[in-house]
Amino acid sequence: MAAEMMGVDMVTILVDDIELQVPKGELIVESVKRLGIEIPIFCYHPRMKPVGMCRMCLVETGTKQPDGTIRKMPKPQASCTLPASEGLAIYTQTPQIIQDRKGVLEFLLINHPLDCPICDRGGECPLQNNTLFYGPSTSRHIEFKRHAPKAIPLSEHVTLDLERCIQCGRCVRFTEEISGDGQLAFRFRGASMQPSTFALSAFESKFSGNTIEICPVGALTSSQSRFRARPWDLESSAGVCTLCSCGCNVWFDHRIGKLVRVNGRTNNAVNEEWTCDQGKFGHDYYNHNERQASVFIRTSARLESTSWTVGLGEIVTKLKSTGTSAGFLLGPKISNEAGFLACRAATALGSRQVAGIDSRVELGANFEVPADSLLSLEQAKVIVSVGPSLADTLPIVYLRVRKAASQKGAKVISIHSSPTELDEFAFLSLCHKPGTLSLLIQGLDGSLALEEVALQTGVSAQALKEAKTVLEGQGVSFIATNQVAHTEGSAALSDLRRLAKKLEANWNHFCETASGFASLASCSGLGMELQSPESILKKCLSGDIKFLWLVDFDPFELVKDRELVKQALEEVEFLVVQSAIASEASHYASVVLPQSLPAEGGGSFTNLDGQLQNFDAFLPKIGMARADWQIFAELLSRMDLAAGMFSRQDILQMAAKDVPYFKEALTGKQDHQPQPSGAGV
Amino acid sequence: MSDLIGLQTLSEKPTRLDQSQLKLNFSEAAVSQLEEIKSHYPSEKAAILPALWIAQREYGGFLSSEAIAEVAHRLHRAYAEVEGVATFYSMYNTRHKPGKHKLEVCTCLSCHVNGAYRILDLIEKKLGIRPNETTEDGLFTLEEVECLNACDRAVVMQVGDSYYGPLTESLLDTIIADLKSRTESTVIQMADEIVKVHLPESAV
Ligand code: SF4
Ligand code: FES
Ligand code: FES
Repeated sequence: MAAEMMGVDMVTILVDDIELQVPKGELIVESVKRLGIEIPIFCYHPRMKPVGMCRMCLVETGTKQPDGTIRKMPKPQASCTLPASEGLAIYTQTPQIIQDRKGVLEFLLINHPLDCPICDRGGECPLQNNTLFYGPSTSRHIEFKRHAPKAIPLSEHVTLDLERCIQCGRCVRFTEEISGDGQLAFRFRGASMQPSTFALSAFESKFSGNTIEICPVGALTSSQSRFRARPWDLESSAGVCTLCSCGCNVWFDHRIGKLVRVNGRTNNAVNEEWTCDQGKFGHDYYNHNERQASVFIRTSARLESTSWTVGLGEIVTKLKSTGTSAGFLLGPKISNEAGFLACRAATALGSRQVAGIDSRVELGANFEVPADSLLSLEQAKVIVSVGPSLADTLPIVYLRVRKAASQKGAKVISIHSSPTELDEFAFLSLCHKPGTLSLLIQGLDGSLALEEVALQTGVSAQALKEAKTVLEGQGVSFIATNQVAHTEGSAALSDLRRLAKKLEANWNHFCETASGFASLASCSGLGMELQSPESILKKCLSGDIKFLWLVDFDPFELVKDRELVKQALEEVEFLVVQSAIASEASHYASVVLPQSLPAEGGGSFTNLDGQLQNFDAFLPKIGMARADWQIFAELLSRMDLAAGMFSRQDILQMAAKDVPYFKEALTGKQDHQPQPSGAGV
Repeated sequence: MSDLIGLQTLSEKPTRLDQSQLKLNFSEAAVSQLEEIKSHYPSEKAAILPALWIAQREYGGFLSSEAIAEVAHRLHRAYAEVEGVATFYSMYNTRHKPGKHKLEVCTCLSCHVNGAYRILDLIEKKLGIRPNETTEDGLFTLEEVECLNACDRAVVMQVGDSYYGPLTESLLDTIIADLKSRTESTVIQMADEIVKVHLPESAV
């Protein structure tokens, strides 16, 4: 067995009289799963420390006597806090245990309001399920129940229905152990115990949505999707979050073609089972009331709705004359296929002007596949995070770093110019004066005296010295994003990279957008460089670019310099605005193309560590909208630039010919098998 | 959605205290006592209970949110966690601000059968307050408590760290008169006594 090879002692236990080899110390609640036996649970969660609060997981235990008989212990034990030891016998099905479970559930239901018919959790509720399978069939309780307000808004996302809480502590432990913000705690005790925030202040967490999912009852509900649908009316489809480059696996729960809620989907190589609040609650734009539904074309001063044939025809005509001066701005959420085809179009037209948020050219950095994956980051001994709050830019990376620090003892060094969440558990926080990162790095690589650096950067020489020693050790991983260059200048970013290389540390310059990795890989595969949006806009001003295509790129939101955007859009001769939601840019458009969103049109997405994940469509498209990749596939075939692209797979095959990354991704990693959403652990 | 149901809306909630907004009220003596206590434990978390006693003393017998926040800040713990600890124990005054003296009448079994509620009624009449209320002059707070582990003296009442019992009307009158004549608050005194238990002789 794998565990044996890794030097873990194995012990033999007896589960319902079946012998079983398990690693010593494994929790019994986990061990029995190897036999496919289920022990009902509430408070236990495989990703958190066991607390034994709910007593649902009781089992009978015994030990083997020298004469071979089993001597049972007089009282049952909670299996979630019971480690496996040699000769331990477990009984999960005895009449005694069946009776005990009924008793536990009866207690839990004493104060539970049993408002299942209106409860959001009804249908996927562990309390409901366990009561059905293991509980008493009727209630003997005639006394009054405890009452509490039915809707206590803990934050704008999470609403607490206190009556339903069974005081399992999962939510509390989540904020302590996983997200680390320590926002929730139990106040008071006994029947008045309530999970809540300090002084009932707002629940300010970047991961609060997860508590809704792990609550085993309907106590924590999503303010957004409360009372919107019953769980059994929802259909769960596997999807990928495209709001940042982490690429969290999620379930999109939808009903009659409308997205209702988003839940985390387990993928240990990416998000484990968590989501950030942005991902969980930020998909509302699917139901935006200004979704782009038809093709528009500018006739004199007005935009008039037209057909795809006319719209694309106009674009093709224009491209034929101005092709060499065509520019493409790739949006942060476009699929790999669309990203690749746009790059392909740019090369075929001979313009080679492609830009995206994750550009590296102006930053003096080249695209490099990050040395670490989300999984291997966990194994790092030292993690150096540079730049503004990691929990904001790459929430899932933040959770990994936190896990590495809290569970595996990694030393985290946080380098930044304003406090971040990392400071709470960082081994060292080097908070430098804004603009002095380069100096700090010079101190760390030994080219400047530490005292001098301390004076200039405001970081104590002592801390610098300590950091230096730690960095000289083994297993160091650096994490940086473009933010470093934006806040400290591109020189600082390259200095940082040089430092990492010098220390022979893992260098991870992560992308921030879902389309970043693939766009960078496509560009470099096609021998181009992904430019920054600003540089393309400037080229529009100077007349180098006459034809601009916004590929689901809203410049008014993504580019800071508003004036530049305005002038560029006015200046450029022909502007194609391809978007899912009507935006300000459409006012300047020559042609507006309605684009569908990933759940409607499908697409594959590559996350920050290079995992290619397929996202198959399951929602109907809005009006005339088409998937981003379909639009480009059609354009390229109309212009005779490429042919034979009938599906996403064809495009990926084509990409594999030009781009080494796609070749690897298609032959290597497999997308894992999704399992249905809903109540589970 | 919650607006529809018409309960608290978010804007009515106090936002979490920012470190910079924290008003630190511990006296110098209290701070050095806390430092001393911290040195007795392997982690700061372990010092939460005694630290809360210091806070109860420093904040006039009541653990307000500010008091709890100060303890959390000084021990580098999450605010919510310390509040959870404080509200768990009924000897910390977190639910309402007590008066100068807190009369805790036991109404558990032995005291009950010996007429605890008659005594409670008497006190209510004499002071004009109901349990969990404080007299207008801020002198007395009345509370009903569970077994004080002095059943042999039922009906028992605890004031500060002294027990009185068996209670009779005349005994009550003497106690109340005595308490009125005191300048020190028994609530604060008790907190102080408990803090001292945690400190070595030399530091007291
Ligand atoms: S709110 Fe839910 S997760 Fe939190 S303690 Fe109550 S039942 Fe458990
Ligand atoms: S006590 Fe074991 S699951 Fe709750
Ligand atoms: S019942 Fe009152 S002291 Fe025990």
